[in-house]
Amino acid sequence: METLDIELPRMALLYGLCLLPWLLLRMLGLLLSRDIGISVLRMSVQLALVGFYLKWLFELNNPWFNGLWILVMLLVADFSILRRAGLKVRYFALVTFIAIAFSILFSAAFLVFWVIRPALFYDARYVVPLAGMILGNCLQGNVIALERFYSALRKNENEYATFLMLGATRMEAVRPYFRDAIKAAINPTIAGMATMGLVSLPGMMTGQILGGSEPWVAVKYQIAIMVCIFTSTTLATIINLKLSLKSAFNDFDVLRDEVIDKRS
Amino acid sequence: MNPIIRFDQVSVAVREKTILSNISFALFPGEKAVLCGKSGSGKSSVLRAFIGLHAVASGGVYFQQMQLTPASVHMIRSATAYIGQEPILGAETVREALLLPFQFKTHRNQRPPDARLVEVLNRLHLSVDILKRKCSRISGGEKQRIALARGLLLGKSLYLLDEITSALDAESKQAVFDVFSDPQLTVLSVAHDTEWLARCDRILELEAGRLVRERIHGNA
Repeated sequence: METLDIELPRMALLYGLCLLPWLLLRMLGLLLSRDIGISVLRMSVQLALVGFYLKWLFELNNPWFNGLWILVMLLVADFSILRRAGLKVRYFALVTFIAIAFSILFSAAFLVFWVIRPALFYDARYVVPLAGMILGNCLQGNVIALERFYSALRKNENEYATFLMLGATRMEAVRPYFRDAIKAAINPTIAGMATMGLVSLPGMMTGQILGGSEPWVAVKYQIAIMVCIFTSTTLATIINLKLSLKSAFNDFDVLRDEVIDKRS
Repeated sequence: MNPIIRFDQVSVAVREKTILSNISFALFPGEKAVLCGKSGSGKSSVLRAFIGLHAVASGGVYFQQMQLTPASVHMIRSATAYIGQEPILGAETVREALLLPFQFKTHRNQRPPDARLVEVLNRLHLSVDILKRKCSRISGGEKQRIALARGLLLGKSLYLLDEITSALDAESKQAVFDVFSDPQLTVLSVAHDTEWLARCDRILELEAGRLVRERIHGNA
């Protein structure tokens, strides 16, 4: 079954739908025209470019180019995580990259090599979207984990120092904040799995059904991707927080002021 | 006799601002010393520098002849009790707060029996019933005594006290004075309380991060 294409005039009609929320927001006195305009424009341009690139990537289906695309996605995610978590890139770029690269590659490789098993293990049609979906969710988790952890440490500086004075090692003293940060990072994924199919139909499954897949196949892919998202988010946040401690603290276990990006 | 605390030409800078300059003094076992001076003169910074919470820019900080370094800081902190004006108990109930340090690897095998908890509470004029109470429901004075009790349970002999007497009621103050009359305990404190100052052996006066005068009890 072929998916129905949306012709350009109908795409223009679709953009017209944005006028309704824009009008309502304006009536409420929320002057967001500029933000809405920029966001819709950015989304359209970025997705159009990705569309062209993916078309070319799928046709070429070269393992090196596929790998390069994943590397670019990892680098963009790396910088995005640190910027949104309010941490200085120069201190954490390497550890965050290691954490997300290891977790994404581990989950994606597990899924592709052992579960889906396409004829070509590097098949762009599988590797690129699956890695992208896992990475997107992993990114959110890492932003939450890093932001929560370092905010809690700064807010509870005296409590952390008290733990050190009571004989705790650095790892023992940060443990309460570490656990809270990991919990906050993986909670949305756990809640998402618990309500999946009841509250909403997941995007990937909907896309596959629209693309002509059997619902049962789409369901199995959705379960596979959720398990991988859960695994990679948990792995990446734990590795990232643990590795970040080395850069974040001085030799006397005191949080270094200069690692926090005060502009954010 | 070797000093328990020694500052040798210590300077400390925080965010490129010098907060302590060339501080030198020594404190011997069993001595009670007080740091005094105006607000912002660097009194609390001396305490924080001793336990490595402020990085020493130059000079040396020593605990029993051992220099404060990344390798020794854990040992120095474990041997020292630091009690601030509003101590953080870090647990839900008072019993949990008292036993908190014994969850850490350093003290895991030293968990005291209940009889020892009762003995320490009595020494600080605290009732045994307080063990069941929530830390959020006890007074500032009680919090300070619980923090002190934790130090005693850990067998610490060096106490850094930051303005603890200012918020104490008469009963708590008496309990604290009783505890520190023990000649085994060494105290470096920040205080303005005249009663406490009169009991101290050594008075160190700070002004703009410099030690401007040191008086030994009985000397002008």
